[in-house]
Amino acid sequence: MTAKKSGSRLETEIERCRSEGQWDKIPELVRQLSAKLISNGLCLEKVPAASPTEREQEIITCYEKSGDIALLYLQEAEKVCVSGIQNRSPKPGPTSQDQELGYFLETGLQRAHVIHFKNGNLTQGVGRFREILRAVETRTTQNLRMTIARQLAEILLRGMCEQSYWSPVEDPPTVSPLDDPTRQGHVQSKKYSLSRRPRLFKTIYCQCCNENTEEALLLLLISESMANRDAVLSRIPEHNNDRIISLQSASVVYDLLTIALGRRGQYEMLSECLERAMKFAFEEFHLWYQLALSLMAAGKSARAVKVLKECIRLKPDDPTIPLLAVKLCIGPLHWLDEGECFAKMVIDMGEKAAEFRAKGHLAIGLVYSLKATDASLRSTQEEYQRKALGAFQRAQSLSPTDHLAAFYLALQLAVSRQIPEALGYVRQALQLQGDDVHSLHLLALLLSAQKHYQDGLNIIEMALSEYPENFNLLYTKVKLESMCRGSEEALLTCKHMLQIWKSFYNLTNPSDSGRGSSLLDRAVADRRQLNAMTLPDFSDPDTGSVHATSIAASRVEQALSEVASSLQSSAPKHGPLHPWLTLAQIWLHAAEVYIGMSKPAEASACTQEAANLFPTSHNVLFMRGQIAELRGNIDEAKRWYEEALSINPTHVKTMQRLGLILHQLQRYSLSEKVLRDAVQVNSTAHDVWNSLGEVLQAQGNAAAATECFLTALELEASSPILPFTIIPRAL
Amino acid sequence: MLGSERGVVEEWLSEFKSLPETHLSSYAGSLHLKKSLVPALYRVIQDPGNELLEPVCHQLFELYRSSEDRLRRFTMQFLPELVWVYLRVTASRDRQSNGCIEALLLGIYNLEIVDKDGNSKLLSFTIPSLSKPSIYHEPSSLGSMALTEGALCQHDLIRVVYSGLHPQRETFTAQNRFEVLCFLMLCYNSAVVYMPLSSYQSVCRMSSRLCVCGFPRQQQKLWREPCNRVLLDPEFMVQMLTAVYHAIYNGEWEMGREALEDILYRAQLELYSQPLLLGNAMKNSLPDSAPNEPQGRKVLQVEVTPTISRISISAITTASIRRHRWKREDADGMSAGEDSFNANDPDEGFSSGASNSSQPSGTRAGGGGPRAGSLSSGGSSIKKAIAARLSRDKERDRPEVAKQVDAAAEVKRQHQRKQSPPASIRLDAIQLSPIKKHLSFPSGPPLVRTGSTSSSKSFDCMAFSLNGGTREQEGGGGGSTEAGGRPAGGSHRHSTVSLQEGHMIRPDDPLLSPGAPLSKQSRSPSFNMQIISQV
Repeated sequence: MTAKKSGSRLETEIERCRSEGQWDKIPELVRQLSAKLISNGLCLEKVPAASPTEREQEIITCYEKSGDIALLYLQEAEKVCVSGIQNRSPKPGPTSQDQELGYFLETGLQRAHVIHFKNGNLTQGVGRFREILRAVETRTTQNLRMTIARQLAEILLRGMCEQSYWSPVEDPPTVSPLDDPTRQGHVQSKKYSLSRRPRLFKTIYCQCCNENTEEALLLLLISESMANRDAVLSRIPEHNNDRIISLQSASVVYDLLTIALGRRGQYEMLSECLERAMKFAFEEFHLWYQLALSLMAAGKSARAVKVLKECIRLKPDDPTIPLLAVKLCIGPLHWLDEGECFAKMVIDMGEKAAEFRAKGHLAIGLVYSLKATDASLRSTQEEYQRKALGAFQRAQSLSPTDHLAAFYLALQLAVSRQIPEALGYVRQALQLQGDDVHSLHLLALLLSAQKHYQDGLNIIEMALSEYPENFNLLYTKVKLESMCRGSEEALLTCKHMLQIWKSFYNLTNPSDSGRGSSLLDRAVADRRQLNAMTLPDFSDPDTGSVHATSIAASRVEQALSEVASSLQSSAPKHGPLHPWLTLAQIWLHAAEVYIGMSKPAEASACTQEAANLFPTSHNVLFMRGQIAELRGNIDEAKRWYEEALSINPTHVKTMQRLGLILHQLQRYSLSEKVLRDAVQVNSTAHDVWNSLGEVLQAQGNAAAATECFLTALELEASSPILPFTIIPRAL
Repeated sequence: MLGSERGVVEEWLSEFKSLPETHLSSYAGSLHLKKSLVPALYRVIQDPGNELLEPVCHQLFELYRSSEDRLRRFTMQFLPELVWVYLRVTASRDRQSNGCIEALLLGIYNLEIVDKDGNSKLLSFTIPSLSKPSIYHEPSSLGSMALTEGALCQHDLIRVVYSGLHPQRETFTAQNRFEVLCFLMLCYNSAVVYMPLSSYQSVCRMSSRLCVCGFPRQQQKLWREPCNRVLLDPEFMVQMLTAVYHAIYNGEWEMGREALEDILYRAQLELYSQPLLLGNAMKNSLPDSAPNEPQGRKVLQVEVTPTISRISISAITTASIRRHRWKREDADGMSAGEDSFNANDPDEGFSSGASNSSQPSGTRAGGGGPRAGSLSSGGSSIKKAIAARLSRDKERDRPEVAKQVDAAAEVKRQHQRKQSPPASIRLDAIQLSPIKKHLSFPSGPPLVRTGSTSSSKSFDCMAFSLNGGTREQEGGGGGSTEAGGRPAGGSHRHSTVSLQEGHMIRPDDPLLSPGAPLSKQSRSPSFNMQIISQV
């Protein structure tokens, strides 16, 4: 009781000092008052009580009251001090003394919610947290605020969920699952009265929180900006401890930020936040690695690879890091040489890499396989294919239960036309992973290479029942159908594809669940896509009149605005394929079917649709050439083919058609040259060999012609309906 | 399955069927009292051949369809187990036995994707922005740190849809499987607080098993049932992590940590960046030891943490650099007297209330110290002009750049001062002295000469240039510190200026001891250069 009495005496004294303007005395008095209240509380905690409920009530009141008093007077003291400076009063003010909060004030401010939590009273604990945080801050309380903000964010992320959340401006729910049910509802807060309460931040016209992640995020951003401010920049040994402290407090905040933003798929923003953490990150592996991963998740691949390089330097023994880098190099970046380096790092680790060794071999195999596809010289191609095959075999033997190893081995065998072996491995892959779409696709293509078109079609249809919206499968289906069921069926599939395309890109939500990115980014991205889209129209010499161009452009724009929102979200689902590319491809497939039916008008209309989207695509030009050929306009066809080749000089199909036309025009040597080039680019195209044979025959070179025909025959026996390389290769 | 368990389940099945609509609420309240029911239901779900599975799934769906939240949550607690059984069976050859679990999962999904009026649900949240006031802060109180480019870009609050517009699904396909499961886990996570401990155990078990089954790590587990590898989606793994994270802090410390490790293991093998990112963060922020009370939901611990500024005052931090700047500005503001101008732009202070006030206790003000008010006597009109100029400069330049320029100006001025008879130097005076507002750089000479000499100023200036030097070293070593953006030529300019002037005498060593620990810093190349040029 004495303590209480002297407490109230202190209160009066503080009031007196306030009225007399003796500001320098107040902090000391506040400290005394709080100390009184707090020691009171501490004592009460120690003394066993007859009625624990009442006792607890008393304790909490002590702490909360002392906390409020402390906050209020700190605010006042600072206000005075500010005005003192502004008035140029001679007294510098007491601020230099209250830089440190002192043990008692701090306990007073923290002890109350700690007790709430200890008692399982989460609702009130959170309430108390919020009260402290909502009080207008003073310089003195900054450190405390940072800690409390972080703690509240932890509670929000770890102990709450969307359904149990209540906003800080609402009243808390009366019954909450957060509270320990056995001890509920006995402690009523705020029984004490204070003449004034600490000033709060204004709540009108300000952002408010509607869910726990949002509030946690706000608190964490505040903590982050404070933690950033305390980053110790000097690296001299004397400051080692300080640096460690500042790093620790910041890295806790960044980890929580990662958890909060990752939950909502905001990797873009997360990577920006983590970039701010870089001032702490010198030689700190965790921060570098997290930055790299966030960049990767945000799709900033090039930067991610650069940061991953630093991570490798800091932790050279971890095989995951170079593998992540290879993944990016093979996938979105297509940096094959860099990818090779990273993959070799993993292989060089040998036994240390343990389960990742197989992955390392798989990665290098993929790099070689992609290099083989890119290579323009036959010898290099074959060299890379050999290396790839070796790597895949090694990967498969190291990890026989990994379906990817078996699948890529099968794919590589298929590319080098070892069809029966490839079938064996693709079956193995399917045994390990029954509904892997690529394995199923490969199986269908292999069957088509053995000319079992019906079986291939059955497999494709089965795969489509699991992946109804996979366009790659549908393209193959169109080809197979026109082969064994007639063109009408194939046309129906094309129509179906158009429907899927429309529903798919219309239905997808504005911002996809996982990769939802900010509206701003999306708008920017859309604009960029629009630019890329309309640009070719202006430079295109073929569309003819201005009228047509503008129509095409406006069509694109209209379509874009219709599906604009879905663009970003849907792109990743289908790999690098752009939705418009998909649409153009559908039209081209339809055109091909019409050409097969000898209907040039329809084919031309389909091609025009594709041309509206990509007027300078070599595929479009090639198709136009084929239509012209169908109509008997050899010269026009030749012109189209030449244009297609000027855009893509290694398009084998065009080369083959051009060679044939030149043959018809009896320009044999030129035709031979074109066809020989085509064979150099792709030595497995049987129709090129065949055409070459014909040309050689016409030139009277019978022996060479026979050679060519034999090669063509042999290749044709193992040629799939679509090239095996349409199956994407990625880690 | 034991007969008693079977009895419990059968009783539960029949009881609900005969329940009138009006008793639904009281039934919901009493459901948790049936202690043996939940374990019995887990048994039924885990056994795909059980003939009770179909009625149980049906009834769980009926409960979910009711309007009573508690009944919906009762069903929801089995979600992890259902997902596990579903995925395990899918990975095996035998797909037929999955029918009723599939139907239940799809049923819940189709109910959850629409709101009460049957419209597609859009789950969105707002990204808070520090540049807007909130109930917890005012933008000005966070200082210019908050006004980064990024913050300004996002000045408008951005509302992000993180899940929504899912189409109704009638069947599972390999393509939509994880879209549905992710959404279901999202629903589970949004009600995770209401789940009983048994459900947390189930979610940890599910996560562990899904991630290791068919991989070498499964051999280290107690659970060794042969099982094919289950394909996982990165987003789904993120949802698993969210649930496991909650379990770790709400009573399942051991199991939760094991599950976290297993998810990380799998994420590494699959090279999925998103779950790796989250998992690493969760692992890194785990408390060192298990909490004291493993029973119950007491794992959320809050301690009284000492927050008294633990970072020593002499350390160079972003804030100390900034403080340094205030110090100069404040001092100037005070010395200017009648024609004072408020040099503090509002966005610079960390604390709106405090930004105008005093310096932090880096220097403990004891007495007045030599006020650098000399300018006001000599050239108050000039001063005004400079003030205007300075404020313009400030708007234009980034703070660091400005500082650099200022520092150079200081050096220059310092040299010139040195030409006049040196004042006697006392240590305390040095500590206390406010620093004169820096003057604009090249146009200075006539102005500078009006300033009376104060050696303390020159010291302070030295200290500053040292800071600058160290920061440069930082920038070189650690990559992008904040100072990264400023022109690299800054310190060079120092030395060139010094060389031009060339009359600087080296400050006495005792001068170097207070303030920042200079002896070490003197290793920084720019400092050495300066010393050399000074000598």
